Amino acid sequence: MTLVHMMLLSGCWSKKELTDLAFVIAVGVDKKDGKYVLTLQVVNPGNVAGATQRGGGSSGLPVTLYTSTGDTLVEASRKASKKISRLTYYAHTNLVVIGEELARDGITEIFDAIERNPQFRTTASVIVARGRTAEELLSVLTPIDKIPANQIIKTLEMTEKVWGENLNVHAGEVIESLSLAGKEVVMSGFRLDGNRETGKKTKNVQSIDPYARLRAEALAVFKKGKLVSWMGGEEARGVLWILNKIHQTALNIGWKEKKEAVSYKVVRSKTEVTAKMSKGNPVISVVIEAEGDVGETLAPIDLTNPTQIATLEKKIRNEIQKEVQKAIRHAQREKSDIFGFGEIIHRTYPKEWKQMQRVWDEQYFPHLPISIKVDAFVRRTGLRNKPYFQ
Amino acid sequence: MWFQWKKQLKKTTKRNEQSGQEKNGINRTVESELQRNIETVRNTTGNSVDVVIRRFLLGKEEGIPAALLFVSGIVDEEMIHQFLLESVVQLTVPSSYCREEALVYIEQKIAAAGKMKRIKRWSELFLALMSGEVILLIDGVPEALSVEAKGGERRAIEEPVTQLSIRGPREGFTESLATNVAMVRRRIQNPHLWLEAITIGEVTQTNVSIMYIKGIASDEIVEEVRRRLQRIRIDGILESGYIEQLIEDQTFTTFPTVYHTERPDSVAANLLEGRIAIFVEGTPFVLIAPTVFIQFFQVVEDYYARFDIATALRFLRVLVFFISLVAPSVYIAATTFHQEMIPTQLVIAIAAQRESVPFPAFVEALMMEVTFEILREAGVRLPRAVGQAVSIVGALVIGQATVEAGFVSSAMVIVVSITAIASFATPSFAIAISARLIRFLLMVLAALFGFYGILIGIVLMTLHLCSLRSFGVPYMSPLAPLILSNIRDTLVRFPMWALTERPRLINQTNMVRQGNDQRPKPPNQPEKEGDNH
Repeated sequence: MTLVHMMLLSGCWSKKELTDLAFVIAVGVDKKDGKYVLTLQVVNPGNVAGATQRGGGSSGLPVTLYTSTGDTLVEASRKASKKISRLTYYAHTNLVVIGEELARDGITEIFDAIERNPQFRTTASVIVARGRTAEELLSVLTPIDKIPANQIIKTLEMTEKVWGENLNVHAGEVIESLSLAGKEVVMSGFRLDGNRETGKKTKNVQSIDPYARLRAEALAVFKKGKLVSWMGGEEARGVLWILNKIHQTALNIGWKEKKEAVSYKVVRSKTEVTAKMSKGNPVISVVIEAEGDVGETLAPIDLTNPTQIATLEKKIRNEIQKEVQKAIRHAQREKSDIFGFGEIIHRTYPKEWKQMQRVWDEQYFPHLPISIKVDAFVRRTGLRNKPYFQ
Repeated sequence: MWFQWKKQLKKTTKRNEQSGQEKNGINRTVESELQRNIETVRNTTGNSVDVVIRRFLLGKEEGIPAALLFVSGIVDEEMIHQFLLESVVQLTVPSSYCREEALVYIEQKIAAAGKMKRIKRWSELFLALMSGEVILLIDGVPEALSVEAKGGERRAIEEPVTQLSIRGPREGFTESLATNVAMVRRRIQNPHLWLEAITIGEVTQTNVSIMYIKGIASDEIVEEVRRRLQRIRIDGILESGYIEQLIEDQTFTTFPTVYHTERPDSVAANLLEGRIAIFVEGTPFVLIAPTVFIQFFQVVEDYYARFDIATALRFLRVLVFFISLVAPSVYIAATTFHQEMIPTQLVIAIAAQRESVPFPAFVEALMMEVTFEILREAGVRLPRAVGQAVSIVGALVIGQATVEAGFVSSAMVIVVSITAIASFATPSFAIAISARLIRFLLMVLAALFGFYGILIGIVLMTLHLCSLRSFGVPYMSPLAPLILSNIRDTLVRFPMWALTERPRLINQTNMVRQGNDQRPKPPNQPEKEGDNH
C-alpha cells in the first residue's frame, strides 16, 4: 500500500526533456539605474564543437547571450523567458561574473538567490569583471574552449595551479566569507583586452590573434561585501601563499650582483597558519614549507656545491617572505582580513574572539603582529649541474 | 463457470483414460496362439509400417512357429540379425521340452543379449516394444520374452552449444538419457551415486531419472523432488522445460528457480554439492534442484581457473547483469529528470545529439530496445545463412541510418549496444532473459519517476527475489539469509583449499568437503609444532 501511494503521489512533475532546457553556463550580474541586470550565457548545444556531427550547425555560435532587468535577480531570471524559448536551467552554471560597478556597490545580497535555488551549484566560480560590466565580459567569443565560460574557468584553474597569482573562488566560499566576521571576500578579476565589438562576432575566433581576449587579472579585495582595491603581481601571490593555495609557481632570485638570476620552480608547498595569545593580544604565525627545483639560471652557479645551494635556499626564503609581507601590508592598509586570520583566532580562542569580533577589522587586524617563517629547499637542480656558460 | 469447466475437464480426462485402456488392453494378457497375438499387435499399432513382425520357425528340426517384434529405427538392427535371430533360429530346443519350457530355455541360452524380461501383460509388452526392445513370441506360450536392443541413430556427443568454456571438458549432453547418465557416472565413480527412474507422460511415456548422491543429498529434498515428479499428470513431456514448469515453486516470477545445464561436469559438481539432477529422455538439458540465485552467475570454469581470476570474473558478471538491467532506464532518468547529475560537457554533448530527435527520451529508448529485441529474435530463429543478412541490416539500418536520419541520438545507440552486450555476457541465458523483461519495467518506472522509480523497481525486485524458494531453499541464500561459511563461494570464490563446506540447503548431514589443512606449502618447511601433535 505504502509503495503504491509513494508511486502514485509522486508523479512526473519534474520531468523535463533535454530539448526543453536552456543550459545557462554563465550568469553575469550588473546594476543599472538601481535595477539588476542579469546576463545569461546560454549554450547552443547543436553548435558546440565536437557535438556537431550533423545538421551543419558549424556556422552558428556556441553560446548566445540574453539580458534582462529586474528589481530582484529572480524577477530578472523569470523575465528572461520572454526571450528564451526554453526553460532556463541553472544546474550547469559554472560561472558567476560580477560587474565592477556592482562589486564596488556591494555584492552581499546577490548571493541569496544563488544559494536558495536548488538547481544552482555553490561550486560555481565567481569572478569580477575589472573595469567592465559583466555583460561586456561575457560577450566575447573565445578560440580554444568554444564556450567562453569554460574558457574563463579553465584559465582561472590553470593559472592558479601553475602560476599562483589568481584564486578560483566558488560561490559557496564567497557566501561563507560574507557570513563570517573574521574573513573577507577575495576573488579574481578578469579583464577584457582589445575590441569588444569584434569580440562578439565569429570573426574574433577566426583570427590567429583574436581582436578581443579575456585575461585573468589581479585579485579583488572586498571589505564588508564591497570591492575596495585590486591586488596584483607578487602581492597576489603572497595572498595565495598564506591561503595555502600555491601548488606550483616560479620565483626569480637574484645572484650576486645580478638581479632575477635564478628561477626557482615550486612543485609543492604547504602553509600552516596558527594563532596565539600574547599578553591578551592575538599573534598570528604563518609557516610556509616549499619544495622546488631550479628551473633556470642566468648566472654561473655551481649547483654541485652544497654551500651554494644553501645560499640559494636562503634567498628563496627571503623572496617568499617578501611576497607574503607585501600581501599582508596591503590587506592591513585596506583593513580587510582576506586571509581569514579572524576565523583562525575564532577557532582557537572562541571566548576571546567574542570581544574582538566587533572591532576586529578596525582595531585588531590592521596592527596584528604576524610572524612569517618560510622553509624552502631545492629538491632537484634539473638535468644540468653547472651551466654551460661561465 | 470455473467449476463447470473443471468438471468437464475431469470428464474428458476420464474418457481419455478409458479409451486408452481399451486400446492398449491394459488388463489383458498375452494369449497362447501366435496368430492371434500378432493380430492384436497389428490392430493396436494400426499396421504401422515401422513395427516389424518377423515370423520364423524355432529350432532346427520340427520348428516351433515364433515371431520377433520390434520397431525399426529405435532398435539396434544389426544386433537383432547377428545375435538374436541367428542364435534363436539355430538353437536346438530339446524335443522333450514343452513349449513353455522352451521359452525359459531360450531366455537362459541367449547370452548375447543384455537385459531380458518375461512379459505377460499386453500393456507391458507395448511399453517395451515402443521403448526399443525386441519381443519374442512363441506359438503356444502365453508369455513373451523382451530383449533389450535399444539403438538406432542418435546424435553423437558434441561440445555443448549453450555453455561453452575455454578450459574444461568438451563433451555435452545428448538427447539420449542413457548416454547422459553414463557421462555423469564416469565422473563420479561411486556406488552411492543413485539413479531413480520414473515414467512421466500418459501418452509419451517419457523416461525421467533422478540422480543424487546418497548421503550427500538431503533425503528430504530427494523425497520432495520425487513427490513433485510423481504428481505430474500430463499427456507428454518433450523437454525438461515441461518438468521445470511443473515442479517449480513459483510460477509467477521471471526468475528461474530450477537451473538447467548441458554440461556433465556441471551436473557432477552440483551433485557433489548435494543437489539433485533430473534427466529427461530426449533433451540435452538436465535440471538441477534446488537452485539459488547466485548459481546463475557461476560457471564451471570458475573452479577450473584460479581463485583470483574467478572472483574478478564473478564481479564482472554481476556488474554486467546490473548494466543489462538498468542501463537504458538510467539513461532515461538522467536525461529527463536529473540533468544536473551529468557532467556539463557530457550533458551538452547529449543535448546536441538530442537536438534533432523528435521523440522524448523514453520513447526513443523504448523504440531502440524493442528494435533490438526484434533483431535478436530474428537472429535466433532464422537459418544461419539469412542470419548474416539480419546482422547487416541491424548494424547498418539501426546503428547508422537512424542516427543519421535523426530519429535517435547516437548516445541512445551506445546505451542500447552496451545493454545488449551486457545481456549477452550474462552467463546464464535463463537469467539474462528475465533481466530483459525487468528492464522494460524499469524503463517505464524511470520515465515516470526518474531515479526514484528505478530505486523502487530495484527494491521491489530484491524483495521478490528474497521471497522466492526453490524446493524450500531460500533463493537468495547464502546472501539472504546470510550463511557466512557459504559466502566463500558466492560473489567471491575463495581458494580451493578454503572451500571446506558444502552449501547449506536443507537438513543435510554430510557437510564437509575436504580437510582443513589443504593449503599447499613449500616443501622442506618444518611443520609447525601444533601440527605435529
